[in-house]
Amino acid sequence: MIKKRIIGVVTVKNGWAVQSFGYKRYLPLGKPECLIENLDRWGADEIFIQVIDRSNSNLGPDFELLEKVSRLRLETPLIYGGGIRNISDAIQVIKTGADRISLDSTYRKMPDNIKVISETLGAQAIIISTPMSFDSGMLGVYDYQKLEISLDIDSTRDIINSGIVSEMLVIDYKNEGYKNSFNRQIIDGLMIKKKGSVIAFGGITEDEQVNSLLNLDIVSAVAIGNSLSYREHAIQMIKKNIENKTLVRKPIFQSLLK
Amino acid sequence: MKKISIGIVDYGMGNHSSIVNSLRGLGLRVKVSNQKIELDTVDVILLPGVGAFGLAMENIIKLGLDDYIKNAVNHDKPLIGICLGMQLMTESSSEHGFTNGLELIPGKIISFPNNQSHIGWNGINLKKSSSSWLNESDRTVYFNHSYYYDGPDLYKAAITHHAFPFASIIKHKNLIGLQFHPEKSQVTGKIILKKIITSLLDD
Repeated sequence: MIKKRIIGVVTVKNGWAVQSFGYKRYLPLGKPECLIENLDRWGADEIFIQVIDRSNSNLGPDFELLEKVSRLRLETPLIYGGGIRNISDAIQVIKTGADRISLDSTYRKMPDNIKVISETLGAQAIIISTPMSFDSGMLGVYDYQKLEISLDIDSTRDIINSGIVSEMLVIDYKNEGYKNSFNRQIIDGLMIKKKGSVIAFGGITEDEQVNSLLNLDIVSAVAIGNSLSYREHAIQMIKKNIENKTLVRKPIFQSLLK
Repeated sequence: MKKISIGIVDYGMGNHSSIVNSLRGLGLRVKVSNQKIELDTVDVILLPGVGAFGLAMENIIKLGLDDYIKNAVNHDKPLIGICLGMQLMTESSSEHGFTNGLELIPGKIISFPNNQSHIGWNGINLKKSSSSWLNESDRTVYFNHSYYYDGPDLYKAAITHHAFPFASIIKHKNLIGLQFHPEKSQVTGKIILKKIITSLLDD
């Protein structure tokens, strides 16, 4: 049985790892490479680097960071998101060391690009990243470039159901950065039937939240940001508290082999 | 004692740094090349791969490596395929239309039903006939694919369950194909890579 994943997220702005609060406020944490190296050492199931200032400024992907990360010799699968504009960027990101890519503004601005990227890299390599909210009974997609909410969920659903991409990173953007605050109604309101197609992110800090989200059929993974950096081996501590142990992977560490 | 050398076939897709690092971490010599003269000198050829089947075959043919790889295998050179590299060893794939493969192992590559992908960590269960060359059982490794091998059971060396059982390792003579990514499977992946390379050279 495929295991459900706990993904360590490192958010990068202006070259620094930051803690983001609701897409509005940012606190610097340090060098992204240090956080990424720790997640690799602590047995994360995947690592997701999201560089949040590339798309707005049309800067393209942060290849300098990817090259630094490549030198870390990670043994953990790496997802990269931020500034990917077209197929050429996507290929170069994979060649520089990412195993998968996350697309956000690309799919909203240029939906045809996604198909081309999918046909070149394969659907399994593509995640669409979608900031969402659930307010007054309405599910919305947040466009962080226009700073407005769209109620058109169907186009997002269609992309997932079409199989052009493999998974959707659902970000509770309002609660991102805050403790124990992920709004489950976002997942419930999505009404996506495809099993294992959603990665939940934003305001997930507690073991109970992780346990509850991973038990949902449509959730393949939870992504956790800064709270993983506060304690060593946080991912394994969370996994210890998951009721159904067969849901998640127990990694083998080099030290256990000696 | 001479160090074992691995030649990673560079056909212009995917990144090779992870697999290079894994192999070097095992104490092996590694070359990344699309030059036949370079690949001639290695003990084992490794066909990596990220991307779509059709484009990969197109690149391999453009570089004239299709006949080279077939010829090398026919002359008993061990070959390891990883993920797309494993799929390329087969007769054909239906990914974005029909494409012929390298035809080194009978069978074809088809998609999982309902546009499903198989992404993440899953167990591999070795068939009894494979236990002599890899005795680890039920290890959890990293997969990232939407298509799978559909071929005779004879060539299926390990099985993984994702809605139904499918081949996660295929084997035929001096060829081994891994549907998962050992280079991204942390310590488990390294153990598997080492055992596979050793077994291919011992055979």
